[in-house]
Amino acid sequence: MPEGIFCNKKPINTEEDLKALLSDTRGTKYYEEMLSLEVDREKLWDTIQKTCKSRLRTWLDVCARCGLCADSCFLYLVNDCKPEQVPSYKIQSTLGEMVRRKGDVDNEFMRHAMEVAWSRCTCCNRCAMYCPHGIDIGIMMGYTRGLLYSQGFVPWELKIGAGMHRVYRAQMDVTTEDWVETCEWMAEEQQDDWPGLEIPVDKEDADIMYTCNAREPKHYPEDLAEAAILFHIAGENWTVPSEGWEQTSLSMFAGDWEACKLQVQNVYAAIDRLKPRRVIGTECGHAHRATVIEGPYWAGRPDGQPPAPYIHYVQWVAEALRTGKLKIDPAKRIRQPVTYQDSCNYIRNWGLAETAREILSYLVEPGYLIEMTPNKEHNYCCGGGGGFNGIGKFRPQRNKALLTKRDQILSTGAKLVIAPCHNCWDAIRDLEEEYHIGIDWSFLKPLLIKMVIIPDHLKPQDEEGDEA
Amino acid sequence: MYAFLTGPMLWLSFAIFVIGCAWRVVNYVKGLSWQLDRVPYGCNKDLAVKGALRSIFHWLIPYASASWRQKPVFAAAFFLLHIGLVLVPIFLYAHVMVVAERFGVSWPTLPDGLADILTILAVAAGVFILLRRFGLSEVRIITTPHDLWIMAISLAPLVTGFVAAHQAGDNSGWLLAHIVTGEIWLIAIPFTKLSHVVLFFCSRAQIGVDFGVKRGGQRGRGIVW
Repeated sequence: MPEGIFCNKKPINTEEDLKALLSDTRGTKYYEEMLSLEVDREKLWDTIQKTCKSRLRTWLDVCARCGLCADSCFLYLVNDCKPEQVPSYKIQSTLGEMVRRKGDVDNEFMRHAMEVAWSRCTCCNRCAMYCPHGIDIGIMMGYTRGLLYSQGFVPWELKIGAGMHRVYRAQMDVTTEDWVETCEWMAEEQQDDWPGLEIPVDKEDADIMYTCNAREPKHYPEDLAEAAILFHIAGENWTVPSEGWEQTSLSMFAGDWEACKLQVQNVYAAIDRLKPRRVIGTECGHAHRATVIEGPYWAGRPDGQPPAPYIHYVQWVAEALRTGKLKIDPAKRIRQPVTYQDSCNYIRNWGLAETAREILSYLVEPGYLIEMTPNKEHNYCCGGGGGFNGIGKFRPQRNKALLTKRDQILSTGAKLVIAPCHNCWDAIRDLEEEYHIGIDWSFLKPLLIKMVIIPDHLKPQDEEGDEA
Repeated sequence: MYAFLTGPMLWLSFAIFVIGCAWRVVNYVKGLSWQLDRVPYGCNKDLAVKGALRSIFHWLIPYASASWRQKPVFAAAFFLLHIGLVLVPIFLYAHVMVVAERFGVSWPTLPDGLADILTILAVAAGVFILLRRFGLSEVRIITTPHDLWIMAISLAPLVTGFVAAHQAGDNSGWLLAHIVTGEIWLIAIPFTKLSHVVLFFCSRAQIGVDFGVKRGGQRGRGIVW
């Protein structure tokens, strides 16, 4: 059987196909079909010739095989230093072989490559800082994922994820209607505590357009409410677009570049339509990577800039604290051992390490912040990045990968981990559920709401006009 | 034979080395693509140049990168090998004399004793790096015959040159071997992994621009050494 009903080379483009694939619980049939999925060798070699150019070819060819990348990789270290986990080996035995064999690889090879690409690399890019030649295996593994995706060798959840973006322009089945309703509902819910609070939809020329992660409206809409409350307290003139509000991209994890482009174009169209002064994304690492860091190139913007300045949530928080738009009640500062989880996507790969520390200087009583080792740009991945969190087939490998972060957190002695990234937040939640180390974990928004001083004029008034 | 090897063959070897390396660089630069690499080539030129230079500098200076500091012994072997392979041949008295005799130009030279020590250290470092390949499982698994060959090709001129310089009596055999291995080394550079002679600078500059402009440089970060 060259092409399966579920497992094939065709991307998911319709709701019907999406539902059909979702009905194949845990991808049982999907992975069965994958066993006999044929490789289109000609197309594979053709794609490699067209897209594997200078930078990647040189990285593959010039690798000195010195092994310095080994110790830079948390998956190598956490998997008992198995040589098969050496980054250079992982890429040379997959992409390197595809190139050397001119695409002449079989089904078994591709299934193995899929396992390597999605369970032995989280595309954290840490190895790039440790290689004498500056070889970034994470970038190459991302590229390899694209080749595998185009041949149908992609984990079931990510085929669905990419399909979601193609069908709904969101990683989950949240329609424009659902989204706008959620915004209205959340604004309404808050009226008792926050009279006058709004979640303005499609307001043109606002100072801020806010974008988020579809999981927020879908599973924890209170996050959206919290964002609204903080903008309300800070007195920001903000809006959300009815279309183009979803900032994430599971298609990036899947290697579905076409869907990546469709997704980011949707957000950029909202920017063009509403003309905000700038855009602020939620507390998510990969969403920032997809829409701000890589997105411009997918959308064909050679300067690498989105249509309007686009910042990460931590940048807005740091600025709001610095300028006094948000003021922290000194009595409410964190007075328990706390640590910070540096997200690979906006710390190592976008340079916000010190911005995050600036926030912590406002939120944490001096002496209570204990940094992880290593930290900032050198920090290890949470253990669930690059799509690892969401792939059932690789759950045992993911759980093993969480041990690195568990031990990093344990050696700080912190009881609270601040993790302004959905992936990191999930991984830390999962490691607590799996290994019970007695920690709490949090995004910034709920912490800020607990600590921020509420200006008198925003407090609810009773009938006599007194504060309730 | 000697006349041929030190005449046309030497010219040819240098020509292949220079033209070959230039061709590798031109090819590399031509194959860069802002869209495929997702790097804004040509934008933010100041940051790009700064990123590229820092990226090269931190790896050319011993222990200036986190990675070198983490592997101090390997770093020492790396620098000793490269000093022996790059600096010693260029500043060796005997080499400079040959150039001076033929072309009338010369430059400062290393004392012979120091050149000897650096050559011995370079060979020792090369042998150490080879042994390390087999001793450490994380290096063994990625080692290929190519990696062994290029080390052999690189060490051969050092060993033969050292023996030729120190052998009493008739040493024409060793001198010939030195010239031949030296020429093989020069010719091999553009066609093997030894092309890192130039591609190291290309690759490091490229990742330097990537981090120095796109991934953090615009916010004052980038690769943190």
